[in-house]
Amino acid sequence: MSRFIVRRFLSVIPTLFIIVTLSFFLIRLAPGGPFSGEKKLPPEIMANIMRKYHMDEPLVKQYFRYMGDVLQFDLGPSYRYKDQTVNDLIGNAFPVSVMLGTMALGTALLLGTIVGITSALKQNKWQDYAAMSVAVLGISVPAFVVGPILMLIFALKLKWLPTSGWLSSRAGALTLIMPIITLMMPYFAYIARMSRGSLIEVMRSDYVRTARAKGLKESVVIRKHVLKGAMLPIVTYLGPAFSGIITGSVVVEQIFVIPGIGRIFVQSALNRDYTVIMGDVIVYSIILIAANFVVDILYGLLDPRISYK
Amino acid sequence: MPSIDKNNDRATNEFNQYVKPVSLWADAWKRLRRNKMAVLGMWIVAIYMVVTFGAALLPFKSYTEQEMLHINLPPSFKPAGVVALGRLEERKVELEAAITRSGRADLKQDLTRIENEIIQLKGEVDTDPKHKRVYILGTDYLGRDMLARTIYGGQISIMIGLIGTLTAAMIGIVLGSLGGYLGGWVDNLIGRFVDLMYSLPYMLVVIIIMSMLPTGSNSIFVLYIAIAMISWLTISRVVRGQIISLKNSEFVEAARSMGAGSGRIIFRHLLPNSLGIIIIYSTLQFPSFIMNESFLSFLGLGVSAPRASWGTLVSEGVQGMQLYPWRLLVPAVSMTVFLFAMNFLGDGLRDALDPQSKNRN
Amino acid sequence: MTDDVILQVKDLKAYFKLDEGLLKAVDGVSFDLRKGETLGIVGESGSGKSVTNLAIMRLIPSPPGHIAGGEVVFMGDDILKMSDDGIRKIRGNKISMIFQDPMTCLNPFLKISTQMIETIVLHQGLDKKAAKEKAVDMLKLAGIPAPEKRIDQYPHQFSGGMRQRVMIAMALSCEPEILIADEPTTALDVTIQAQILELINELSERLGTAVILITHSLGVVAGMCDSICVMYAGRIVERGTADEIFSDPRHPYTQGLIKSVPRLDKVSTQRLYSIPGQPPNVINLPDCCPFFPRCERAMDVCKTKYPKVAELGDKRTVACWLYGEGK
Repeated sequence: MSRFIVRRFLSVIPTLFIIVTLSFFLIRLAPGGPFSGEKKLPPEIMANIMRKYHMDEPLVKQYFRYMGDVLQFDLGPSYRYKDQTVNDLIGNAFPVSVMLGTMALGTALLLGTIVGITSALKQNKWQDYAAMSVAVLGISVPAFVVGPILMLIFALKLKWLPTSGWLSSRAGALTLIMPIITLMMPYFAYIARMSRGSLIEVMRSDYVRTARAKGLKESVVIRKHVLKGAMLPIVTYLGPAFSGIITGSVVVEQIFVIPGIGRIFVQSALNRDYTVIMGDVIVYSIILIAANFVVDILYGLLDPRISYK
Repeated sequence: MPSIDKNNDRATNEFNQYVKPVSLWADAWKRLRRNKMAVLGMWIVAIYMVVTFGAALLPFKSYTEQEMLHINLPPSFKPAGVVALGRLEERKVELEAAITRSGRADLKQDLTRIENEIIQLKGEVDTDPKHKRVYILGTDYLGRDMLARTIYGGQISIMIGLIGTLTAAMIGIVLGSLGGYLGGWVDNLIGRFVDLMYSLPYMLVVIIIMSMLPTGSNSIFVLYIAIAMISWLTISRVVRGQIISLKNSEFVEAARSMGAGSGRIIFRHLLPNSLGIIIIYSTLQFPSFIMNESFLSFLGLGVSAPRASWGTLVSEGVQGMQLYPWRLLVPAVSMTVFLFAMNFLGDGLRDALDPQSKNRN
Repeated sequence: MTDDVILQVKDLKAYFKLDEGLLKAVDGVSFDLRKGETLGIVGESGSGKSVTNLAIMRLIPSPPGHIAGGEVVFMGDDILKMSDDGIRKIRGNKISMIFQDPMTCLNPFLKISTQMIETIVLHQGLDKKAAKEKAVDMLKLAGIPAPEKRIDQYPHQFSGGMRQRVMIAMALSCEPEILIADEPTTALDVTIQAQILELINELSERLGTAVILITHSLGVVAGMCDSICVMYAGRIVERGTADEIFSDPRHPYTQGLIKSVPRLDKVSTQRLYSIPGQPPNVINLPDCCPFFPRCERAMDVCKTKYPKVAELGDKRTVACWLYGEGK
């Protein structure tokens, strides 16, 4: 097991390396720069700026300089926010996004499995149809529609919830409700459908028939023999779900004005603030890789058929 | 022994009336038709297609024509002139009340402006045909017809979905079947690449690509490519898996033993047998293309003015949603209904084409 | 004789509502099982033999299946009329089952010990420790080497034959009256098949358990069974002791089955016989003898009416127009 973890961990390094390299060159190849948008600067000032950020050096040299900095966990200065480093920007925003993401995923997982299990046990009854229609709706409606509509109803019309902000002193935890619902909707729906399907499949499996033939109560059969096997596919889905939540949070942070890395990412993409984009990509990739890593290990712990040798 | 042969014939004939041989596709069609939600989805999708792509032939208003007197009109079946006039008069009453209450002189200017507009509108309302228009879904902040705009936005969104799906399917099929059929280092290389792409937060890559574009470039075209470039991953994996499992099956062995070449085996035997699963995945991917495009447009990184997609319309609608909720709701609901229908159709197709699917969820 | 009958199946019917129509998987099956007897149920796949036995245990997946009629009298009580609690006290305790594919019939996520102990605790009221000892004993009886160690392993660590031994040990752990073995050897290697059959035979004799052995192979029932039911398209077409069926088969289908078993004692240059045609699809089957399209001796009456069951002697019946009133 520990050898598997070490090996798996080492295999992450080339992936990260490729991601950083690719995005570095991709961004540098793009026409226009972070300073091209503003009104024409005098050439000498422009040259000064370029020198300050080492942009006058050959590309390869810039690349090695950047890689060296990244290895020391220094993501460089922001081109736009003159006084801030990328580390500062992301450091402040990261906990916000992680909190939002984990809460959304946790809610999706909890509600999704509950709805999925209920649906499977009431298969082809009205509860099932209702739950599954809601699930398709959840998958069909994009976050940028759910978010504004929730905001329109609950914040602007009914005035029950604050429109935006993040844990600001007056509204407190109420600010979390709409972003979490918006962000978790598709994943909740997907998990509900998945757990329903998987549960039904396992309930028809041979080993569950064996369990019934042993005279076990249906509730015991479900609890002891069905659930574990049925929940395994959900665990594999957690990796992709996490990655989707990260992307989704870009929109949700935008709608509800939440100071997370998603918002920074969009801002920097619109501003061509290269170092910030790069830093964000690196952080996102690490989160994703770490999530998949955890899921792999979790899967191995849950399924006795998998051994790490 | 002729008697046995005769019996044999009878065996197939006697009970043939109960076991009719049906082709896979006919069978799937039958299953699909029984699924009410899928049929409903199919009809909705068909109607959307006809309306959006036949829009030029149908009596819709122009989606670009702006009319300053018709700004932000609510949905109504009354002629635009009447609606606009009613709203101006309401506003006039409100203003007068506010002036008498506070005595603010600066509001007087607004009042005069409104009174002038009322006079202008009253003069035109019976003569100018534009005031006879009916905006059943209201107008936007430039006085454009929301119905026409939503249809036009749908045209762009659906086009992007279609082209994206086709491109992704093509790339996925080619790379997936190459990897699956040839195996070895080719498969390894493709597999590694797919793994790498999977570990990227892929919408973020699209965002980067879109942000790199010089402003004013043909963003729709780039959007097609950008989305398609990273959406073939799943299809290629699915096709690869299917090809590998079929490659070793008896009927392919048989074809090979009769001297069929690789190309023939792939195109005549492997791909047709993978077609079902390709259709399923493509149908299910189609709505996600539309979502992704709208997602980018919503962030201001996708389709840019003067063009509009559903995403652009929603993001425009969000701006004034408190006062003019229809500007948000019209495109949002249109889009949601379409995605809903597509998802039901996709689910139905999956159940119909792949009844034993392990991938249902 | 009748007092040691422990299971009486009378006119049992199990139907499945499918999109294509009503599938009468089991349509009026009757047989008796005596204490300690081994009964073979033989038929092609789809003949309803497995469904018959799932119906006895009330384990038919519903929907789409349901029991449409009949009685299953076990030790004086009709199983089909019992409460859910009542039937659960019988399942795994008085009547237990082993299935065709040992690879999929054990829960892959639970240790063998967990799966065995839960049955013993449930039905025998032992505590966990005693139940585990009992389980180890059963595994030893079933021929598992080093059972104390292997009991804490997961199913995937066992070979197919070993898993079937585990299934047998588990099924017999409460010393049931009846063991239903549904094609217990079909999924196994030929060399292991004989061992498993031998094990079932030996353990059932030792514990006094009656066995219903479901199989498509006459070869399997020949050596093991006291009596045999031959099923075709959801009904029993012929019934009798093993001797009677093999030495004097009456139904053309049984005759065909026996002719198609390869024999070592007769050197033959002829090709092996096979029954022409395919078994019928039993959905919406009309009232006729379902075998007539494949029958060499079919008559006109066979096409219009299902034959009356002819009693040829004690527990010996055949459903064919060639016998009884038809002739």
